[in-house]
Amino acid sequence: MAELDRDPRVSAAYRALGAERPPPEIDAAILAAARRRPVRWGVPVSIAAVVVLAVGVVMRVAQEPRREPEPAAVVHPALKAPAAERKAAGSVAREAAGPAAQARDEAPPHPAARAPVPARANIALGKVAAAPETPEHWLERIAKLRAEGRSREADESLAEFRRRFPDYRMSDEMRRRVAPR
Amino acid sequence: MLAYGRGDEAAFGTLYARHKAPLYRFVLRNLRDRGVAEELYQEVWMRVIEARGRYRVQAKFTTWLYTIAQNRLADHWRKRGLKLVELDGADAPAPVGDEPAARAEGRQGLARFAAALAALPEAQRAAFLLHEEAGLGVAEIAAATGVGEETAKSRLRYALAKLREALADG
Repeated sequence: MAELDRDPRVSAAYRALGAERPPPEIDAAILAAARRRPVRWGVPVSIAAVVVLAVGVVMRVAQEPRREPEPAAVVHPALKAPAAERKAAGSVAREAAGPAAQARDEAPPHPAARAPVPARANIALGKVAAAPETPEHWLERIAKLRAEGRSREADESLAEFRRRFPDYRMSDEMRRRVAPR
Repeated sequence: MLAYGRGDEAAFGTLYARHKAPLYRFVLRNLRDRGVAEELYQEVWMRVIEARGRYRVQAKFTTWLYTIAQNRLADHWRKRGLKLVELDGADAPAPVGDEPAARAEGRQGLARFAAALAALPEAQRAAFLLHEEAGLGVAEIAAATGVGEETAKSRLRYALAKLREALADG
């Protein structure tokens, strides 16, 4: 396959259009993201699942009405559940503990694969832990940082947001509010 | 990239310094909307950062980088229903005033060139920008855009012909 030669006139005209470069704050955000260690989700998610389960059990036990005269031990409702239900809960916990699937660079991952994993454990085990921050709430927080002039924190948070939600399409208004100035 | 994957953060700095300006212009000139372009530009680098641990040498880093960028652009255009973005004038040369004739003519020529570049079909414009900004050859343009070499060469040839024509019109 023969290459096409560059046309010096076309190249010169193209160069004359300008030599734009990315703004320094975008450089800084990307370099900061590159310095962060990759998050290994397996261990923290396993710990989170265990903590959520333990807190759930403790809270359920604490909410059980005390029946002084009965000598029998209090049995947690989850332990009374049929075997099939207990098996299902176990599978959710195992799934939550698994490492996030690595999608190819070219194929954008399914949004569900990007959702914070502990949210699934919360759904399965009851509303024990605080709900994870939604993308909209996160963007509002960045916009607030931006409005307060905390540019560095806003840049880093925006970079992290884009890493976590690469396919999220924000509105023009929100883009204007969170964009580096 | 392999060094970065092994934990050498300075290696990423070197890669970034080398490729940031051409990649930025590649995205910017393809989209002609600075806000969207900057968002997409960052997304491309985030993909690079995320891929650090699984990067394998299968082609030149430049080809791989621009393949990611091209795919993100394709996603963008698909979401926009392949609608052509109008020339918004943000990067076009300023209007001609009372300048000397030669300078005014030069600005007009540049304005015609910018308009011709913006008016190219996206595939042809991408081929031209990959050639001009990234320095990719026909085979690499074909790889980055997922088409055959004949198609890539044809797109590039058409783009160059239209841009030459814009220059000749002056």
